[in-house]
Amino acid sequence: MALSRREMLQKITVGSASVVATGAATGAALTGTAQAQEMPQAPREAVAMLYDNTRCIGCQSCVAACVEANKTLENARIEGVHHTNLELNATTKNIIKLYKPADGKSYAYVKQQCMHCVDPACVAGCMFKGLRKDAKTGVVTWNSKVCVGCRYCEIACPYHVPKFQWEGWNPKIVKCEFCKERQAQGLQPACTSVCPTKAVIFGKRTELLAEAKNRIKENPNKYYQDRVFGEFEGGGTQVLYLSKVPFDKIGLPDLPHESVPEKYLKWQKRVYSYLAVPAVLYASMVGVIRGNWKKHQEHMAEDEKKTGLRPQL
Amino acid sequence: MRNEKPTISEHLKEAGVSRRNFIQLCTTLMIAAPVHLSLTRKASAWEVAKVVGKAKRPSVVWLHFQDCTGCSETLLRTSRPDVADLILNVISLDYHETLMAASGYQAEAALKQAIDENLGKFVLVVEGSIPTKDQGQYMKLAGRPALQVLKEVGQKAAAVVAMGSCASWGGVPSAGANPTGATGVDSILTEKPVVNLPGCPPNPYNLLAVVLEYATMGRLPALDEKNRPKFAYDRVIHDHCPRRAHFDAGRFAREFGDEGHRQGWCLYRLGCKGPVTHAACSTRHFNEVPDVWPIGIGSPCVGCTEKGIAFNMPIFQTAELRGITPPEALPLINTPIGKVGPIAAGMVGAIAGGIGGAALMASRRLPTGKEVSATKGSPDDHTKPDGKTGGD
Amino acid sequence: MIDQWERNVPVYDVPIWTRPFIAMCGLGALAVLFVTYRELAGLGPASGMNDAYAWGIWKTFNTMTLTGLGSGAFAIGMAAWLFKRHNLHVVMRTACLTSFLAYLSGLMLLGVDVGRPWNFYWVFTPWRWNLHSPLLEVAVCMPTYAMIPLLLENIPPFTDWLHQHKPKYREYVRKAEAVMVRCYPFIVGLAYLLPAMHQSSLGALMLLGGNRVYPLWQTPWLPVLYVWAAAFLGFSCVAGTLLFCSQMWKRPIDLDVLVEMNRLTAGLIASWLVFRIADIVFRGVIGLAFKFDIYAGLFWMETAFLGVAIWMLRDSSRQRDPRLMFHAHLMSAFGGMLYRFDPTTLAFQPKPGAFYFPTPIELFISLGFVALAIAAFMFLVKVLAILPAPMRLWYRMETHEKKAAELQNPRFVAAD
Repeated sequence: MALSRREMLQKITVGSASVVATGAATGAALTGTAQAQEMPQAPREAVAMLYDNTRCIGCQSCVAACVEANKTLENARIEGVHHTNLELNATTKNIIKLYKPADGKSYAYVKQQCMHCVDPACVAGCMFKGLRKDAKTGVVTWNSKVCVGCRYCEIACPYHVPKFQWEGWNPKIVKCEFCKERQAQGLQPACTSVCPTKAVIFGKRTELLAEAKNRIKENPNKYYQDRVFGEFEGGGTQVLYLSKVPFDKIGLPDLPHESVPEKYLKWQKRVYSYLAVPAVLYASMVGVIRGNWKKHQEHMAEDEKKTGLRPQL
Repeated sequence: MRNEKPTISEHLKEAGVSRRNFIQLCTTLMIAAPVHLSLTRKASAWEVAKVVGKAKRPSVVWLHFQDCTGCSETLLRTSRPDVADLILNVISLDYHETLMAASGYQAEAALKQAIDENLGKFVLVVEGSIPTKDQGQYMKLAGRPALQVLKEVGQKAAAVVAMGSCASWGGVPSAGANPTGATGVDSILTEKPVVNLPGCPPNPYNLLAVVLEYATMGRLPALDEKNRPKFAYDRVIHDHCPRRAHFDAGRFAREFGDEGHRQGWCLYRLGCKGPVTHAACSTRHFNEVPDVWPIGIGSPCVGCTEKGIAFNMPIFQTAELRGITPPEALPLINTPIGKVGPIAAGMVGAIAGGIGGAALMASRRLPTGKEVSATKGSPDDHTKPDGKTGGD
Repeated sequence: MIDQWERNVPVYDVPIWTRPFIAMCGLGALAVLFVTYRELAGLGPASGMNDAYAWGIWKTFNTMTLTGLGSGAFAIGMAAWLFKRHNLHVVMRTACLTSFLAYLSGLMLLGVDVGRPWNFYWVFTPWRWNLHSPLLEVAVCMPTYAMIPLLLENIPPFTDWLHQHKPKYREYVRKAEAVMVRCYPFIVGLAYLLPAMHQSSLGALMLLGGNRVYPLWQTPWLPVLYVWAAAFLGFSCVAGTLLFCSQMWKRPIDLDVLVEMNRLTAGLIASWLVFRIADIVFRGVIGLAFKFDIYAGLFWMETAFLGVAIWMLRDSSRQRDPRLMFHAHLMSAFGGMLYRFDPTTLAFQPKPGAFYFPTPIELFISLGFVALAIAAFMFLVKVLAILPAPMRLWYRMETHEKKAAELQNPRFVAAD
């Protein structure tokens, strides 16, 4: 097929322009210079809980208080049968679990509830911001008006916290929300307010981190690896843990310092930033297709002439 | 004075105590001390009665030092049957300042006589702590310091029982600054076997079991590292408490008289020292009335048997729990979830089979390469002369 | 029967209500019944999903895996339009229809799967969107793709039918076609951009599974691997469908077109396998493939099926053997589907002790929706000009239509 000089010049100009544009846009997007990528920080006024399992006596006052404050179903009696929840679930936002080692001696308790991560995976995954992190207190809350019930948050959370109401036609996502109503009234969350041994306490994250580090300093070798869980794990959490046994034994996963969204959605964010890459792709594809479309139309016209039949698009 | 002392059953008969009451006493003994005591490790109360009945009434000399007499009172606070009577007939209480009729010089003489007649055979029961400061002058018995009396009498006894917390480790007089240097018996009588029965007061059946074990078997019961008999002091109240279920479920009374208190919920938050107190009170109550013991009536345990807890740690301060076995009802870190039903498994197999079958059937009806080339030249072959069948 | 595919012809000589069609409709009706139960009773009673495996088989199989099969329009379209494989144009309509039905079925089941579907209208409010969420990308992109470019690509067979059977609409049809012809490149461009975006986002979904997805699958390249797998899955689905339909309704097979498709499929699978294994090696987890556990087993099953598929594709092309081709595409489809399904469920361990197996109702619903799609396909290819055929078949169809008009029985079965 002979190209006129004009056509040739046109093709070269368009071709090189699109190549340059593609390169620039994708380069900017992919190297992330177009978007600031920094380690997420907790809000300055972030609230937190510090749980120290050397002080916990497993009395479950916190579980009972949570049930009362949140009006979730009592875990004591369902259909007249004594019922103990084995896991966080749609009726339990807070639970005490027991780590029972093989030697039967160095057991430990752990309190499980939402960790209110500094950069939550559930918030990153939620399509319509049904789960959102309060900008001031850092509390992660659920919005029933927006939630679609897709349960992506359950898949994403590394601590297996959000739970879904599997029964009924109007299911909700259930998880600890730091007793936001009580906090609004100036009260502490229910669990921290009833603990008889002050194993779990409430305060500002900065203060509680300092308190935890203080305890570690004053009691060397009492706490596992002399560190507090939640300072950096998974990007940091607003529920901090001090434990006498290894963290993985009490169900706290081994996470790197990068938050889950930071670590796993990095490229997704970059490729879609400003929709630059898709736009460039689209433009180039349409360009190529238009060229082929003309040829295809010629073919169809030929066929129509040959057979006398309507062309099939 | 008879040369041959009567056996216990003979004496009981003489004293007019009914056999029924005696069997009841033996039954109660079995409940109070079911294990770690060879006397009561029998199949029935009659067998215990047989053993006890054959023994001679042991001679008991009871000394009071810095005491409140509560430990004697506990022996007497019994009524159905009149076991106080029984106890006093089963043992031969040869010297007891509160209960005996004598006083003054006659009392001193009675003590001497009791010791001389039963030299090396009597059981010395001590009630109250012994002051040691300033040569022990803070408590004197007939003008002589308690320290001296104890050493003299204790030397001649066969066995020594420290009745009550005061005699066991110092008790109330040793609280606070301990101005008198009050201390327990076993730090003074270091050469003799001492059985500590702490408690304020302890349960009377503890004493009875120890004394009878000695009288019938000739030996003292198994003791722990604090010389307390294991049959009564081998576990903490918390591990045998009827309110333990409330503790495990997080139901606590927060104030006296509140809803939880009325419901009989756990008293831990009111300062109950049950988790750190070794005693048998939760199974053997007091005054022979069921549930008459501190926690039973809604008062948190103050840890009266434990040195360092009783009269030292504030009553309403919560105890630290160490080494408490966690309840089995607490969930473990990882619990299994999800299962496969047989119907579902079968269905998956059926679906897989169905799809596989359909695919197999379909593929059978497709021609193979050989069949395709075999049709070359036949009416079914529509290849063009240049060998191509495809277009463009 | 071997012949050249020149034009799309409906399957005019087979009655609509055949036994397989009734069976598919029955399964579909059963599924609809069970869906009603699910809507009333909740997800728990109707499925085996639990808090550890919050996604059962509906999202992961029908939506994430079967729309991979439904990427025929995307893959074959790109081959035909971007890479100038012009002989594939004749199978485009089949590809578009299978894709459309697969997407429709998958999206409807997605609607059944979400717990609070009445809140889905927020998808139309961009200010509410969380742009970081891969699921949002899927939720916006997939319906947009299905309802705009893919639907428009499926309009031509319908306009053809209108033109042929409803003469009074011919004018409107011509006008509509003129508009479509002008917009075609832009629609078609979208039809390749959007699937590229959401098929890769389907892969990105399991990125948030973190280290709970077994390392043999969890990789930052998961989106790329998913969209690449979608490409060869699309090819295999369409080729398999064409072969299956040809034996079912006794239509001629065009070996050259199929050989072309085989070559492309083989190339796609080969490059995919190289990439996948290179990724595993470079991430340093190749050792895991040699342990004696179920994960290594799944990995080798995928790899084996796809490896054998490559070999079978090339062999069947060389020998021009339709039966072997069919087997090859079955292998390729199974291997690819297994790959897309594994990181969501089989190679996903959210916490120790967690297990999931679908319940019978869940299986019925999943199966039923697939059956509905198949039933719709069976119906549409008999009425509309979708499946490719040689020209002579077109002329026979015209003769048949004339006779049918005389007999006033549109689906009479001819004697010949």
